Amino acid sequence: MKDKIFGVLQRVGRSFMLPIALLPVAGLLLGIGSSFTNQTTIETYNLGGIIYEGGLLYTILDIMSQTGSAVFNNLALLFAMGVAIGMAKKEKEVAALSGAIAFLVMNTAISVLIAAKGGIEAMAENSTTSVLGITTLQMGVFGGIIVGLGVAALHNKFYKIELPQVLSFFGGTRFVPIVCTVVYLIVGIVMFYLWPIVQLGIAQLGVLVLNSGYIGTWVYGILERALIPFGLHHVFYMPFWQTELGGSMVIDGNTVMGAQNIFFAELASKSTEVFSVSATRFMSGKFPFMIFGLPAAAFAMYKAARPEKRKVVGGLLLSAALTSMLTGITEPLEFTFIFVAPLMYAVHCVLAGLSYMLMHILNVGVGMTFSGGAIDLTLFGILQGNQKTHWIWIVIIGLIYAVVYYFVFYFMITKLNLTTPGREPDDIEPKLYRRSDVDAAKSSGSAGGTDTVSALILKGLGGKENLSDVDCCATRLRITVVDVKKVTDSLLKKSGASGVLHKGNGVQVIYGPRVSVVKSNLEAFMESPQSDDLDRILQSEKGEEAAGKPQEKPVEKEPADGQKTIVMCAHQNGSVVNLEDVADDVFSQKILGDGIAIEPSVGKLFAPCDGSVDSVFDTKHAVSIVSADGVEVLLHIGIDTVKLGGKYFEAHVANGQEIKKGDLLISFDMDAIAGEGYKLTTPLIIANTDDYAAIAPAVKGKVAAGDELLKINQ
Amino acid sequence: MKTFSYTIKDEIGIHARPAGLLAKAAKEFESTITLEKDGKTAAATKLMAIMGMGVKCGDTVNVTVEGADEEKAAADMEAFFQANL
Repeated sequence: MKDKIFGVLQRVGRSFMLPIALLPVAGLLLGIGSSFTNQTTIETYNLGGIIYEGGLLYTILDIMSQTGSAVFNNLALLFAMGVAIGMAKKEKEVAALSGAIAFLVMNTAISVLIAAKGGIEAMAENSTTSVLGITTLQMGVFGGIIVGLGVAALHNKFYKIELPQVLSFFGGTRFVPIVCTVVYLIVGIVMFYLWPIVQLGIAQLGVLVLNSGYIGTWVYGILERALIPFGLHHVFYMPFWQTELGGSMVIDGNTVMGAQNIFFAELASKSTEVFSVSATRFMSGKFPFMIFGLPAAAFAMYKAARPEKRKVVGGLLLSAALTSMLTGITEPLEFTFIFVAPLMYAVHCVLAGLSYMLMHILNVGVGMTFSGGAIDLTLFGILQGNQKTHWIWIVIIGLIYAVVYYFVFYFMITKLNLTTPGREPDDIEPKLYRRSDVDAAKSSGSAGGTDTVSALILKGLGGKENLSDVDCCATRLRITVVDVKKVTDSLLKKSGASGVLHKGNGVQVIYGPRVSVVKSNLEAFMESPQSDDLDRILQSEKGEEAAGKPQEKPVEKEPADGQKTIVMCAHQNGSVVNLEDVADDVFSQKILGDGIAIEPSVGKLFAPCDGSVDSVFDTKHAVSIVSADGVEVLLHIGIDTVKLGGKYFEAHVANGQEIKKGDLLISFDMDAIAGEGYKLTTPLIIANTDDYAAIAPAVKGKVAAGDELLKINQ
Repeated sequence: MKTFSYTIKDEIGIHARPAGLLAKAAKEFESTITLEKDGKTAAATKLMAIMGMGVKCGDTVNVTVEGADEEKAAADMEAFFQANL
């Protein structure tokens, strides 16, 4: 059960990634745009001269602000569609359409009921909102998620439905939007009656907060964070910010109600000496964790990601961290871990609450326009002076928060093995590129050929009948299987996967960025009749396995990498010999490929790179290796030494064995071999020389095993 | 498609040197040349693949040639085998 929930949450989390990728940009637009079009900001800093309504700068800032909020205001819709896409098993585009329709239908049903009840006035304050012009209940992203999940469930159940002949036009995928419309009409009606009860409960909590001092502030902070995913935070905090629940105060003769109103009235008043913490206690707490804590958490996720994934996730995390820091918009960051690691979010809520309480205790009086980023801190804290705001505590507590967040998150991720972005659970497993990498590319190009990679994958997953659903994310194939026992990890790894992960009935096979091709190929293969005869294909595959070592440079094909230099390290102690000078035509004329040789001084052969042993020759005088980068390396000890038939050689590795650079491969008796009259020159040959742009020696003269020896440019 | 079989006479089998020569010779042709032994197959242009087959003296290798110049390729490859292996 737990695994099943994990599986679902993981898929939900993944389906979030599409809309989330948009949020940092939208957040920056909104944050910067709205900060500088805020009337209070403009007046406080006398910016009226350059930023005024109708002016060019104002208009540009306003466009930024409005377009940014267009994204945030319609987040629920994005999630309704995104989750539907992510969770649908097939025909995802239909799920997307259905998600949009269901979302509209649900909100419209609510809207009509609100109107029937007497409009917004008849509803509780802050409980309604406008979505796409439809007046509806404030349900936040939660509204979108219940649509997305429900639609996906309906979609997966009905997209293949067969209707009676007369109605057959409405069958299959066409039935999905229809059934979604009907179901969400009803869901809308149910929500209209159900949701206000939830909202009421939340509002009641507010009263509790108000009556419990510092602890109350803490609880306020926790709840404010915890309610965000459900869109309930508005119901909760708005009364504090905007109504007398947040206090009332007489400022310059006027009675002002609500925490935010009090703060801005104080800001405008010339007589303010210290900002009232009784008001700002509902705001200041955001700064330490938004500017310092969450970005540190992002850094922890970055550090916990697998090294080869860091580049990819780095971009997402950095932009999300910057958005949080600068504008105080935290959703982009929070949504990256809330579903894959709910426990981390819980810890985050508690820490956030603590931040509010600390700010309250330390009498920090910094307000904000809408969130706690560096922009607002500067405008309403630093520029107001420490005397009035005690903003310095935000930095002090913030720095402590950064350390706490970093270590707590890093510890949790690594100890609990949480799958935050870019983190494959088997992070020790080196990435291996095999011939299958090539085949994946090859088979995508050639239509008719037998797709042995897909055959391997299918066999590894226990055959077609064992698959319930196949999907992929940025780097992994995600499969739900019927019987987990039928899954054979070794076959999957043989297909080119760098790792396999099991969670209940969910299997994740990690291929890297090319996974989408692998998936398309697999799907195409499953449709073909060949997929019913896996064993036959795999039998001929065995031969080909040996045959088809990568012929294209299979590694780092991500275009971003462009030119990449692979380094082979010295395989022996000794002195470097140019390949042209090796006393054997086969080597010196580069018939076997380009490379380099070493005249050894010690009778030991070491691995020049990480990789796997392709084959140790029966005569143990040579070994071929496929490097982790896909380079095919042949190491050949001595000239004509095949004739020794294995005498004087001792192999320390076996075929297929994974090796690390510097591992001892073969030891040999130099004196004995030389005594038989053979030369010991040991070439290192790149057998797939044609795959690389240039191969050049990196050193001359004496080398020690492990020194840089040969540079290979792609 | 042309095929022929050849039983290896060279006492050390298809090892690094002959494999290299074979791969080089096979690259001259447009046709796809495939070696097969006991169910294992290898593209004749792939050095590591050929060596991976572990062909020894006395083993019989089936060679398949397919492509535009398969006539000539098959003939030349057979000659190569006889000369070198």
